[in-house]
Amino acid sequence: MNLWSTWKKGFDIWERTTASYLEEVIQNPLVMNTSGHALTAFMKAKAASDSSMAKWWGSVGLPTKRDQERTLHALNQMQSRLMDLEERLEEMDRN
Amino acid sequence: MDGRFFNIIRRFQDRPKVGATPADVVHAENKWRLLRYRSEQRSGVPILLIPSLINRHYVLDLMPGKSFAEYLVAQGHDVFIIDWGTPEKEDRFLTFEDIVLGYIGRAVRKAASYSPTGKTHLLGYCLGGTLATIYTALEGDKVESMVNLAAPIRFNDDGMLSAFSKIPTLNLELMVKAFGNVPWPLMQFGFHLLKPTLNMSKAVYMLEKAWDDQFLDGFFAIETWGNDNVSFPGAVFLKYIKELYQEDLLHKGEFYLDGRQVDLHNINCPLLNITFEHDHIVPWKSAAVLNELVGTDEPDLMHMRGGHVGAVVSRKASKGLWPDISNWYRGHEPSANLRLA
Repeated sequence: MNLWSTWKKGFDIWERTTASYLEEVIQNPLVMNTSGHALTAFMKAKAASDSSMAKWWGSVGLPTKRDQERTLHALNQMQSRLMDLEERLEEMDRN
Repeated sequence: MDGRFFNIIRRFQDRPKVGATPADVVHAENKWRLLRYRSEQRSGVPILLIPSLINRHYVLDLMPGKSFAEYLVAQGHDVFIIDWGTPEKEDRFLTFEDIVLGYIGRAVRKAASYSPTGKTHLLGYCLGGTLATIYTALEGDKVESMVNLAAPIRFNDDGMLSAFSKIPTLNLELMVKAFGNVPWPLMQFGFHLLKPTLNMSKAVYMLEKAWDDQFLDGFFAIETWGNDNVSFPGAVFLKYIKELYQEDLLHKGEFYLDGRQVDLHNINCPLLNITFEHDHIVPWKSAAVLNELVGTDEPDLMHMRGGHVGAVVSRKASKGLWPDISNWYRGHEPSANLRLA
């Protein structure tokens, strides 16, 4: 038990020091900007690859992933509009 | 030490079910559902719980004996909750208007339809509180009262989330273009960076309390919730980060939804705003500022010790925070006000 308490005390000190050090490092503009650059570069590559894939898909006359997403979204929006209408009709019935 | 590990594994295998309070689905639309908790003795104006859009709703119904929703139901309240569900790829096109005016609006009207006054109490947690606040400012006629739990209103603060949102080299439009919805692992990684050693200290704390079965049950429940996140719908994320975090438009009174200005001074219903001293996700001053902006006469502010999640779901909360909220509701039931008059 004593061994655990001693180890725990040491851990707590290490944790406090490391946490404040890491928070400082992470908030450093150099680290933040570099991470931002890296993530942006990755996203640029992904967006470009998705776009070329969509172009190829579209060139053979097939709907792209984005087309399908837009269609599904439009269906969901239509469901919501129908529910709006139902609500209005119920309200008119009540009045 | 082996005994500790053995007990942790044993409790992990027998961990209680999360979100177990019985509830019925009273409405379902796209991915979200409106749940009404079952109760034999519910009465009064319903309470609609609005959790954050990017976390599971069951943080407010964590596990039997440690569930805020279960507690409210046991106190005789009629409790509803929004389960936002899991956004799919097509939900990248959902807008802030769809969420606030469409979905929250519908949930409010549905809950209010069960109310003796035709209105409902709103309780928003974290981003859910921000959304509830925006809704009430625009469409407050069916809102009896508002309770905000750690809900950010002023986003331009010294918190790390605010700093992350302003990294100049991070292209948010590109993020949404590439991913559609912002992936939850990316957001979770960001949250871990807020307290980089948190996971390690949680593991050590768990070892220390390895003999406390009650603690372990709660620990596993909260870890289950903490690792069960959902992605952020792309278009909503863009507006949220750009207009709220980067430009702080809600606090400035310059935030627009569907062409309408969100003027927080339009909020006139009773308000209880609850903030937490050690909240590293929503610095308490960023939430407390709401009381200065609303039109309510003497809005209530409750400032408590504790962090963003622990203070809401802990054993301590069941003896302090939850009864305080329930009593506040009892004091703001229209019938109670009539009796006082």
